[in-house]
Amino acid sequence: MENSGWKPSASAICHPQSAILILLAGLALALWSVALDQRPMHNDEAVNGIKFGQLWEHGGYKYDPNEYHGPSLYYATLALSRLTGAPQDFDQFTESRLRFTTVLFGIGLILLLPLVADGLGRKATLWAALFTAVSPAVVFYSRYYIHEVLLVFFSFLALAAGWRYWRSRKIGWALLAGAGVGFMHATKETFLITLVAAALALGFNQLWNRWLDAAAPPSRPPRLKLTHLAAAFAVWLGVALILFSSVFTNAAGPLDSVRTYLPWLHRAGGGSPHIHSWSFYLHRLLFFHVAKGPVWSEALILVLAVLGAWAAFARKGLADASGSFVRFLALYTFALTAAYSLISYKTPWCLMSFWHGMILLAGVGAAALLRAMKQRFLRLAVGLLLLAGAGHLAWQARLANTAYAADPRNPYVYAQTSPDLLNLVSRVEALARVHPQGRQMLVKVMAPDSDFWPLPWYLRNLKQKDWCDQMPADPFAPVMIVSASLHAGLDEKKTHVMVGYFQLRPQVFLELYVDLHLWQAYLAKNPPEPD
Amino acid sequence: MTNKMNTTYNPLRRSMTLSLLSGLAVAVSNLLLAPNLPAADAPKDQPAAGGMVPLAIKLPAPAFKGTPKDLALGPNVEPLSDKPRAPMMVPPGLKNIAPGSKVTCSDKNVPADNLAKLTDGDKDASDQSIIFLRKGTQWVQMDFGSPQEIFALVIWHAHNMAKVYHDVIVQVADDADFIENVRTIFNNDQDNTSGLGVGTDREYFETYEGKLINAKGVKARYIRFYSKGSTESALNEYTELEVYGRPAK
Repeated sequence: MENSGWKPSASAICHPQSAILILLAGLALALWSVALDQRPMHNDEAVNGIKFGQLWEHGGYKYDPNEYHGPSLYYATLALSRLTGAPQDFDQFTESRLRFTTVLFGIGLILLLPLVADGLGRKATLWAALFTAVSPAVVFYSRYYIHEVLLVFFSFLALAAGWRYWRSRKIGWALLAGAGVGFMHATKETFLITLVAAALALGFNQLWNRWLDAAAPPSRPPRLKLTHLAAAFAVWLGVALILFSSVFTNAAGPLDSVRTYLPWLHRAGGGSPHIHSWSFYLHRLLFFHVAKGPVWSEALILVLAVLGAWAAFARKGLADASGSFVRFLALYTFALTAAYSLISYKTPWCLMSFWHGMILLAGVGAAALLRAMKQRFLRLAVGLLLLAGAGHLAWQARLANTAYAADPRNPYVYAQTSPDLLNLVSRVEALARVHPQGRQMLVKVMAPDSDFWPLPWYLRNLKQKDWCDQMPADPFAPVMIVSASLHAGLDEKKTHVMVGYFQLRPQVFLELYVDLHLWQAYLAKNPPEPD
Repeated sequence: MTNKMNTTYNPLRRSMTLSLLSGLAVAVSNLLLAPNLPAADAPKDQPAAGGMVPLAIKLPAPAFKGTPKDLALGPNVEPLSDKPRAPMMVPPGLKNIAPGSKVTCSDKNVPADNLAKLTDGDKDASDQSIIFLRKGTQWVQMDFGSPQEIFALVIWHAHNMAKVYHDVIVQVADDADFIENVRTIFNNDQDNTSGLGVGTDREYFETYEGKLINAKGVKARYIRFYSKGSTESALNEYTELEVYGRPAK
């Protein structure tokens, strides 16, 4: 088979490889879903959790073009919650339940691989599956209740379905690709970067195939049918329309999905606290070390990805892979990497989009490297080295999700809620148990710029809460949580005691004030426990 | 041919299905075993005595907030209070008697040469200047060899980043086991989790200035500094301890 040539194909991967992929996906699912509640909810996760709660309890969701991305995360959680018989009472939802949604989309990245197995090559597909399962970045952000892994999943779905359509010219694949793009659109505004990168890669790859690839076959595939493309486009618009309009209940939603680019362009241009240098992502991925923390590196994936790209452009060591597909993938991935590095607005989870491309290329690189080893013992030695490298990645993934799950020395942690906040939450819950009104106890939370998240998630089972951006005229309540930056001094009248500081995030603190009588009652019911 | 393929792949499909189902089962059991909210002992909202019910006030929902700024770690932490520390008035002629004392601690894993760092005058926020005691309530003790009249103490736990130490308690006593004539100089253990009594002093931020405590001329041979982790970590860090006093008459 000519690597860059066209040959109709419906089958993608043979059964033994499928079995290994499914085994790996099952194993990853089991491991990725362990201790999903270990890391305290990030600000953004809590916002997403509360937004989903509004949808779950009241059936209401309205797209906000200024922040918080698209609706797909909430509707995906809604579907999964209905399918799994989630409790009707939102108070009983847990962090684990919410995060399980994103874990499933992360696992989906492995399960979609058979669709591109004849593009990557069978062995490369297995290596790509392994690297997906152990990449610390993929594992960490798949356990994060934010939109990113959904964007990567739908991008891969669109790409894989597009590849299958390219191979088969069957309209079903075109429609699936259109649906994939529709869901990308309804997930995050940055889907446009992915589309532009894919379009550029497609164009350059076609030019390469036509003018530079000497091995290009004389045979040409049937022409693309405009009706197929129009149908795919209609599916894209249909999916986006349904989700942005909150299933035809918010007429402004679809238009807002276009209006949203004004505030986002402002942020991308520098109007944001998340402005970082071009090397921000690569620094975190390739070599990251903060005092007394471990050294973190996923450099193995980048090295193998470069090897995979080189194999595609040089047409060496590809075996059953499609040189044209791998070249497209390399162009697409490097375009995405350049785009995300150049845009000054950066949050570390955005790296997922290009890093997933690197992982696919790394699979090709690993397979090509092994093929380049002509002697059997060399092949064995290199294979073992690659497995050891994958083991090292798995070890880092475990560390990133356990001991360093909320530690700033973890490169994937960013503006993370401190575990100390959970001490504040358990203290407030204990106070509510002592208070005569129980869960109706009034709690006032005061912090500039609403910097009290994720407390709305953690205090959701308390029914009387007053959230203030500044000190109100009457700040007093049985329990008051106040930003330390307000220098409140609410204990000066001796009616309340300040019972401690709690860390919201590194360098950001909250004070807990409690009514004196309530505190005395709390102390009477909570004698000290021996260490 | 078809039969052969079926024979070959049926066990394969079975194992595939089983493995995926097993993974799913483990994942679901992980979910089910995770602690659920609300806590099992959470009270139900029941009418209070006399048939009274709490007044339900409709309060506004919290305003949503975008991703907050990620603040970098670093040794140059600004004090969270902009008020300068008021000077403490003490008798003339006092000196720091900590360097001449015998220092011990509750964590047996800390070697003696590490404990010497607590009185070497090095108050830098660097890792080399800080010693770590294990988690839980831990203490550092000083034996001055003879009774001293103590007027002031300064404690630096760790000022490498903004943090607040919990259950900071300072006690003095006449014996090394802290049984005889134990007096508390400072205690901010508001909920008595360290079991040395409910503290009434306020918590404070760690800064380069250290925590200055007025000991009011208390007389004692032994002094203990307790702590129970911080807002940052369960471990107990100590950088430097200073005790200003003079031999008791």
